Amino acid sequence: MPREIITLQVGQCGNQIGMEFWKQLCLEHGISKDGILEDFATQGGDRKDVFFYQADDQHYIPRALLIDLEPRVINGIQNSEYRNLYNHENIFVSDHGGGAGNNWASGYHQGKGVEEDIMDMIDREADGSDSLEGFVLCHSIAGGTGSGMGSYLLETLNDRYSKKLVQTYSVFPNQMETSDVVVQPYNSLLTLKRLTLNADCVVVLDNTALNRIAVERLHLSNPTFAQTNSLVSTVMSASTTTLRYPGYMNNDLVGLLASLIPTPRCHFLMTGYTPLTVERQANVIRKTTVLDVMRRLLQTKNIMVSSYARTKEASQAKYISILNIIQGEVDPTQVHESLQRIRERKLVNFIEWGPASIQVALSRKSPYVQTAHRVSGLMLASHTSIRHLFSKCLSQYEKLRKKQAFLDNYRKFPMFADNDLSEFDESRDIIESLVDEYKACESPDYIKWGMEDPDHVLTGEGNASGTVDPKLAV
Amino acid sequence: MENSSSSSISCPSTPRWNSERPFLTGRFLQETKTFSRFAETKSLSVDSLSLGSEKAIGCYNAAVQELLVIDDLLSVLVGIEGRYISIKRVRGKEDNFTFQVDASMDLALQELAKRIFPLCESFMLINQYVESRSQFKNGLVNHAFAAALRALLLDYQAMVAQLEHQFRLGRLSLQGLWFYCQPMMTSMQALSSVIQKASANNFAGSAVLNLLQSQAKAMAGDNAVRSLLEKMAQCASNAYLSILERWIYEGVIDDPYGEFFIAENKTLQKGFRILQESLAQDYDAKYWRQRYSLKDGIPSFLANIAGTILTTGKYLNVLRECGHHVQVPVSENSKLMSFGTNHHYLECIKSAYDFASGELLNLIKEKYDLMGTLRSIKHYLLLDQGDFLVHFMDIARDELAKKLDEISVEKLQSLLDLALRTTAAAADPCHEDLTCCVETCSLLKRLGTLKDIENSRNVPDDNDLEEPVNVTGLETLSLSYKVRWPLSIVISKKALTKYQLIFCFLFHCKHVDRQLCGAWQVHQGVRSLKMRGTAISRSSLLCRSMLKFINSLLHYLTFEVLEPNWHVMHNRLQSAKSIDEVIQHHDFFLDKCLRECLLLLPELLKKVEKLKSLCLQYAAATQWLITSSVDIPSLEEPFDDSNVSENAKQLKSRNPSHALKLSTNNTTVTDSILKFEREFNSELQSLGPILSSSSQAEPYLTHLAQWILGVGNEQ
Repeated sequence: MPREIITLQVGQCGNQIGMEFWKQLCLEHGISKDGILEDFATQGGDRKDVFFYQADDQHYIPRALLIDLEPRVINGIQNSEYRNLYNHENIFVSDHGGGAGNNWASGYHQGKGVEEDIMDMIDREADGSDSLEGFVLCHSIAGGTGSGMGSYLLETLNDRYSKKLVQTYSVFPNQMETSDVVVQPYNSLLTLKRLTLNADCVVVLDNTALNRIAVERLHLSNPTFAQTNSLVSTVMSASTTTLRYPGYMNNDLVGLLASLIPTPRCHFLMTGYTPLTVERQANVIRKTTVLDVMRRLLQTKNIMVSSYARTKEASQAKYISILNIIQGEVDPTQVHESLQRIRERKLVNFIEWGPASIQVALSRKSPYVQTAHRVSGLMLASHTSIRHLFSKCLSQYEKLRKKQAFLDNYRKFPMFADNDLSEFDESRDIIESLVDEYKACESPDYIKWGMEDPDHVLTGEGNASGTVDPKLAV
Repeated sequence: MENSSSSSISCPSTPRWNSERPFLTGRFLQETKTFSRFAETKSLSVDSLSLGSEKAIGCYNAAVQELLVIDDLLSVLVGIEGRYISIKRVRGKEDNFTFQVDASMDLALQELAKRIFPLCESFMLINQYVESRSQFKNGLVNHAFAAALRALLLDYQAMVAQLEHQFRLGRLSLQGLWFYCQPMMTSMQALSSVIQKASANNFAGSAVLNLLQSQAKAMAGDNAVRSLLEKMAQCASNAYLSILERWIYEGVIDDPYGEFFIAENKTLQKGFRILQESLAQDYDAKYWRQRYSLKDGIPSFLANIAGTILTTGKYLNVLRECGHHVQVPVSENSKLMSFGTNHHYLECIKSAYDFASGELLNLIKEKYDLMGTLRSIKHYLLLDQGDFLVHFMDIARDELAKKLDEISVEKLQSLLDLALRTTAAAADPCHEDLTCCVETCSLLKRLGTLKDIENSRNVPDDNDLEEPVNVTGLETLSLSYKVRWPLSIVISKKALTKYQLIFCFLFHCKHVDRQLCGAWQVHQGVRSLKMRGTAISRSSLLCRSMLKFINSLLHYLTFEVLEPNWHVMHNRLQSAKSIDEVIQHHDFFLDKCLRECLLLLPELLKKVEKLKSLCLQYAAATQWLITSSVDIPSLEEPFDDSNVSENAKQLKSRNPSHALKLSTNNTTVTDSILKFEREFNSELQSLGPILSSSSQAEPYLTHLAQWILGVGNEQ
């Protein structure tokens, strides 16, 4: 069972979207709520073993760890009809059950405290797989547990499993409404640092945009969490289709990510999905063709990143890479035509410093899920406009930091003890340099930018350390 | 009769007494006479007074003469010499007779008698023909024709007998005789002229049929003659049609005298078992092409449909070789009968063909699951379902990296089986037919030596294709698929070789892709370092370009070439009516793919290979490049002690900022990265002109150019 992926869902939000994700996977693979393969699920050709393993009694069990510091959401899962799906040994709720109080530092600190327990669980899962490919982390960056404990887990995973990939599905907070979490900017900033340094790929799920899409595209006046979460699960399951339904390419996570991520730090991906539906919603059935889907994927309104980020300096923003995963009954001869049309009409603004084009992956659709649309598509893209999201986080942080507001809660924990706020400053620097790098990507001479850094002179003479150690050559 | 259908036509010989005893055949009528004539001509003068005791006819008066002449003529009409009318045979020429009348005969009677002679001559000719063609060696068509003629002659003899009866009753005058003979005259003459042609050329089989038909057509103006000839042709072709019937209804060649126009190559059928094997191995799918072939001498009425007839029987034979019992629905209507304006026989052949081809196609598509087999070949050889390959390359990495003579194919095979069992391929029952093999030379060289391709394109000399010194399994691994009879008719050895060539190319691209992904991961490992302005950031961009290149190439190969073409073929196969059509579509698909996968363009392929080898060199060097551009001070962090200190692991440690510094001044590293970059870019750029110049002839190359070079983005 090669190239397995272990999912870690941390915190309230992480567990909610995680649960939706597993629901969707069960539907697509014909697995019942108890983990038993349905009678109708006889068509082969799918790879259940990437995300599931089989217990001795043939039950399919998700390779998932459910982690939270407060019991509410996980209790909800354990009382839901999916309670028998998960491995109960993989559920971790902290003993005191008090949560992290929306405090990153608390989550981080508690994470350190329970590292042993959680790593035991992760090790067990990792040992149970043949050739583990990597981890997927679901969390939100604004709260306490998902962000703080998630951050701690990211660092630990990077240490323990340095050769494995770490991909995260990170929910960014809704910027449009005032949050009840006032320290959200702090939490976001501290988490972003770990996402930048310790994750190989971050799929950005922007709650602002998810809400907007729910309101504008799905015509829901007051979208519930369940509804936006179902959008997230759609994106998550669609982005893993090439792993679960193998095709010509992108059959492993590394192949999927390597083609999308240009430089080690610019690994934030935005997503788009069309056509979107939510359960029980009567939808206008449209004719879907490959061109149609591809074109719609490029429209701002379908992209799950805040529109203010997308529209700001829009003329400057450029795509670094695009992967369109097209599912359904596709006439493969249409693919070339569609790409040609998009190219002709210059619908995509690509970076100028390197080759770039839309990549396409054709994937099968689950035979067990009936949809009204013949073709659906997911776009995974690396786009420079994502920097505005980080800038926004930075500016909100600056505002709060200037006032020195709410810092006391953080000072209670060892990392910030003795009024040592260097962690904040370091995080700020790293995010700023990330923003700079994305900005530089927009200019045609990005390659030179890499070499022009004033601190270093690349063409300088060799120094003592310049001698090559032949033993290091592998 | 079964055993008589061996290659040389042997037929039972006619017993010798048949020729030695002329009384059995009626030849005595001519022979004894001529024999006696030899004796007489010596003693007597040549004139007609030769008949011994008889008086010259001139002695009688005209009325008596008439009676005598009628009597004589009645004999001559059935080929017996009369008293006053003698039959002379030109020596050496069997079919040339002259009739002589006693010169003293009344001139008027002589004239009338002479008018009747041609009929006599025709009779004798036909009779002789019938006798000679009834021998075994002349074949069924001649037998049938002779039998029909014999029936006709019986009628004729009956008429003569009736005339004689009338004569005995005294009711027949010479004029009357002439009157009764006239209707038969033209028919008999026409027949005899046909016969003369046939025997002059010693026609047999279809030639006889052709002759009869063309004569019938030539005599179209004379209704009686035409219908007679047509009747003869029909009778003669009956035997032939029954051979045809067995062929198109049963696939059996029942042709003891070698008259049929389809030949069977017995050497291609050394028993069923061997046949299967040889077919799987056979490069040219000989069975299909050469087992049965058309000979010369196709009857003209079948000429247009001969190809259909050949394939009909061929299909039936394949069905039988599959152990499938074919029951061609035989009804009254399906009895083959030649002629008639309605061309009934054509319809019969057509429906037999439809049945056979439908049956075979059905068998191959349904029972032997052609589409399923093609699909699983697509899964494995065209990497349509590539997850097994990912796993295979994971577990077989070490084995594949060995040199050719050190690779254990058995080990690879077991690893392949393992990979197949544990991935999505496990659900496909066909995956057990997949075997792996290691070729002896790399793709470029194999393409050069592939004889089929040699013809279509001038391949550069072998010196030109210099083999890299250290070819490993990665360059030469090839998968093979056990194709079973009768699917091997469609997926012949040759077709499979083409699949393998494409696989080899794809596999190596995948390998390059994997190596670059590894390099990408190495870069990811140093993410936490501040690397702006370092060689690492340059290197990561180069890595991206290379990944982009190989990804674009793979995209082009799969989504622009293989998938659309397969889709088109798949649709065509669904609507294909016969197996030949299926083979044609399948071969067309493979050739198109081979061409569009650049495998027929050595110049371009070499460029691509060069680029790929640059990528591989870079990927191999990355680990060293990255680690040597980073100073690694000894780490004191306690949690690292327990771990094996791998470089990459250290690079990712928690608080790198104070532990690690980039040694940005390492010129060696920078230089080699820049060198890689230069070489790669210049190679890539040089690909442009080649692509655009050849895209005139090969339009699909513009697609490739769009993918690889991003042409069209700026314009």
